[in-house]
Amino acid sequence: MQRVRRGETIMSNDKKSPYLIAQEQFDLAAEFMGLEEDLRGILRVPKRELTVNFPVRMDDGTVRAFTGYRVQHNTTRGPGKGGIRYHQGVTLDEVRALAMWMTWKCAVVNIPFGGAKGGVVVDPTPMSMRELENLTRRFATEISPLIGADGDIPAPDVNTNQQIMAWLMDTISMHSGRLESAITTGKPLGLGGSLGRSDATGRGVSFCVAQAAKFLGMDLNGAPTIVQGFGNVGSVSALMLHDLGCKIIGIGDVYGAIYNPKGIDPHALVKHMKKTRTVADYPDCERVTSQELLELQCDVLVPAALEEQITGENAARIRPKILAEGANGPTTPEADKILFENNVFVIPDILCNAGGVTVSYFEWVQDLQSFFWDEGEINKRLKHVMDSSFQAVNERAQAHKIPLRLAANILAIERVAEATRLRGIYP
Amino acid sequence: MMVQTINETEIKPTNLWDAAQSQFQRAADAMNLEDRLRVILGNVKRELAVNFPVRMSNGRTQVFTGYRAHHNVNMGPARGGIRYHPDVNPAQVRAFAMLNTWRAAVVNVPFGGAAGGIVCDPRGQRSGRAMTARELENLTRRFTTEIDFIIGPHADILVPEVNITPEIVAWVMDTYSMHHGHTVTGVVTGKPLAIGGSALRDEAGGLGVELVIEQAARLKQLQLAGATVVIQGFGNTGSNAARFLHDLGCKIIAVSDVSGAIVSQAGLNPLQVERYRAQNGTLLDFPNADTWNENELLELPCDILVLAGLENQIDASNAPRIRAKIIAEAANLPITVEADDILRDRAIFIIPDLLANASSLMLSYFEWVQDLQSFFWTEQETRERLSRVVINAFDNVVAMSEQHQVDLRTAGLMLAISRVAEATRLRGIYP
Repeated sequence: MQRVRRGETIMSNDKKSPYLIAQEQFDLAAEFMGLEEDLRGILRVPKRELTVNFPVRMDDGTVRAFTGYRVQHNTTRGPGKGGIRYHQGVTLDEVRALAMWMTWKCAVVNIPFGGAKGGVVVDPTPMSMRELENLTRRFATEISPLIGADGDIPAPDVNTNQQIMAWLMDTISMHSGRLESAITTGKPLGLGGSLGRSDATGRGVSFCVAQAAKFLGMDLNGAPTIVQGFGNVGSVSALMLHDLGCKIIGIGDVYGAIYNPKGIDPHALVKHMKKTRTVADYPDCERVTSQELLELQCDVLVPAALEEQITGENAARIRPKILAEGANGPTTPEADKILFENNVFVIPDILCNAGGVTVSYFEWVQDLQSFFWDEGEINKRLKHVMDSSFQAVNERAQAHKIPLRLAANILAIERVAEATRLRGIYP
Repeated sequence: MMVQTINETEIKPTNLWDAAQSQFQRAADAMNLEDRLRVILGNVKRELAVNFPVRMSNGRTQVFTGYRAHHNVNMGPARGGIRYHPDVNPAQVRAFAMLNTWRAAVVNVPFGGAAGGIVCDPRGQRSGRAMTARELENLTRRFTTEIDFIIGPHADILVPEVNITPEIVAWVMDTYSMHHGHTVTGVVTGKPLAIGGSALRDEAGGLGVELVIEQAARLKQLQLAGATVVIQGFGNTGSNAARFLHDLGCKIIAVSDVSGAIVSQAGLNPLQVERYRAQNGTLLDFPNADTWNENELLELPCDILVLAGLENQIDASNAPRIRAKIIAEAANLPITVEADDILRDRAIFIIPDLLANASSLMLSYFEWVQDLQSFFWTEQETRERLSRVVINAFDNVVAMSEQHQVDLRTAGLMLAISRVAEATRLRGIYP
C-alpha cells in the first residue's frame, strides 16, 4: 500500500477530538474577521454526514460487517473533495474535521471544490486483495447516492491507493452503465489519471519555499535545509529544493535520521533508498534521532512526516528562517505561538501542501474535458496556482501582522462565506 | 450563537436503541439465526445526518440538525416516520428504523424500515416560542432538499409522526416534486386526499387497534361488551380507538393527553370528550369526570389498556402496579424491556406494537400502492383490505407464538426476521 503513515489516526482518549480543534480554529478566524453569526452557524458544522454499515464476504466464507463514513462539510463553491482512508482508528469526529479542513484548503488555493472526507473503520493490513476489493466495491455502492463527478469526488488517503480508486471508479461506472472517470482522482495514468500528480505535493512545497525566500530577501543558494520524512512528499520536496540550490543537510524517515553539514545529494539518496528502503544507513553521515533532526540549525525546515512533531516542548529550540509544513498538522497551536514570537516564517499546511489537491483538481478537469495535458503544462499551472495563493495569503498576513495560518484560514472562510451570501439560503 | 453541534461524544445512545437491539437478539436466539445475517440485520444499513440553515422570521438564519436512517431495504423501499421534536437523536432514529423493518415484514408488506426527524421545537415546548408556519415551511423544504437523494417512492417513503401536520406532508411532496420536475405523490404518505391521500386515513390507526383488541379478546375469552378500557394518549389513534371500542360496547373509563387525564368509572363518551377538547383545548374539567395525572392513569384497574402516547411509558418502576388484563401497544416501544418481562410474568396479555399499530403502516402502504397506480379505492374497499391483513397478521403471529412457545412480541419479531432473512439469503451479498 502506498502512503501508509503510521500512527496518523491513532488517538488516545485524553486527546482533544480533531473536530473540536477544527471548530476552535474556525472560531478564532471567524472572530478575527468579524464574520456574521448566521454564517458561523452554517460553516462550523458539516452539511451532510452519511454513516453506512455494510457486509463483506471474506475469504474464509464468513460475512463481516464494517462501518464507513462520508462527510461533506461544504459544497457551496463546488463538489465536495477529499480522501477516503481505511484505518481501524477512523471516527466520525476525525472525518468531520478532515472534511472541514478540505473546504479551507480548496478555498485557499481558490479551486472550485468544497470539502469532504470519508473512511472505513478497518485494519486493511491482514486483508487479501479480494477482500479489499469486495470492501471497496461495497463501500462505493453504499456511498454512491452521495458521490459523483459533480457532487463529491473521493481521492486516495491513508491506506488507500490508485488500485482502490480504480475499483471505486469501476463500481460506479458499472452502476451507471458508462465510464465515470471524473468520480475520483488519484487514478492510475491509464484510467484517466493525471501526469505530475505523484510529485505535486512536494513540488508545491518547493514553490512555497521559493516564494517565502524571495519575500524574506533570502538566498536559497547553499541554504542549509532539513527534511523530516522521506516518503512521497519529503523526497520530492528534497529533490526540488536541492535543484533550487538548497543544501540538504539532514533527512529523516521512520527508521532514523542522517546529518551531513557538507550536504546530502537527494538524487543519490533516492537511489540508495530503492536498495535499502531507509535513509538511516546512508554513508558519510552522522546518525541523529528524528527529534534531534528538527532542532538542528538550518534555514529551511520541511516537516513532511507525521502530525504534532513541533510542540510547545521543542518549539523554542526550532529556529529555521522558513518552516514549510509538507505534512498535515505537524505544528501544535502552542508551538505556533512560540514560532511566531521567534519570527520563524511558517508556511501553513493548508497552503504548503495544497499542491496535491490542486493537481487532483487538474485530473478532474482533464477527465471532464477528456483532453489531457502534458507534464510541463501541469507543472506550469501548478506553479501559477501555488504562487498566486502564496501571494494572497502572505499579503493578508503582512497587512494584519498575523501568522500565515490565521491569514490562510481567513482568506478561505472569506471565499466560502462570500459564495454563501451570494447564493442565499434555500428556500 | 444559535448552533446545535452534534459531536458524537455528546450523544448517549438512549435505551431505545438498546431495546431495539435486545429485542432483535432475543428473537434471533429463539430462531437460531446464523451469524452472517445477525451482523447485517442487527444494525442500520445507512444513516444520514444533515446540518442546514433555515431563514427565521426575525431575519436571522438558524442551523438545524436532521436525521434519516434506513435499517434494511431488502424487501422494498424503506418506509418510516419523520418527527419534529427537541429530543430527536440518532439512537432513537436508528431504533425506529429497525422497528419499522420488522413492522412491515410481520404484515408482509414489501417495505424496509426507515426513520428520521429534525431536532427542533415547533410548538415551543422547550423554548416557549412556537415556530411560525413560514419557518416550518422553510425548515421542511430545506430538510427535504438535503435528504432528497436518499428518499423517493422507490427508495424511501416518509410518513408523518410527532408534530408533523398535513401541511408539512404536503410541503415534502411539493418540494420533492419541484426538484424532479413532475408530481411525485408516492414519496410521502399521510397526504391530504386532494394530493394523493387514501380514504380511511384518519380512522385507520384507531381501527387497527380495535381490530387487534377484538382478536385478543376472542383469544382470551374476554367479553368486550362492558369491558373497561383506559386510553393513554388521546391523539388521533387513541381517540379513534376509543370511539370504535365504545361502539363495540366497551366502557372507556379514562383517557389522557398532554393536558392530563380524566377518569369516570361510569364511562366516558369519546365523541363528547373530543368535542369538549376541541372547544376548550384541554381534557381537564370534563363534566362528571375526575382529573388525574397521567402516571396514575396507567395503574388504574381495567380490562384493556391502550398505550397510544410516547415511548417508555411502562418501565420496571411502574410495571408491578399495572392492573390491566390486555395491553395494546398503539405507540412505538411504550414498554421497556425490563417492564416487558415483569408484565409477562404477571400473565398480562400484551399486543406488541408490531401488531397493534400495524394498521397505520398498512394504510400508508395502501396509499403508496394507489399513488403508484394512480387509481384510488373507496373507503369500503380500503376498510375490507385493512381488516383482512390485520386479522391475518394477528393469526400468523399467534400461530408462531404457539408453535415456538414464545410471547407475541418475540413471535412477531421471529416471523418478521425470518422473512427479511429469507430475502437476504436469496439476494446474497453484493458484490
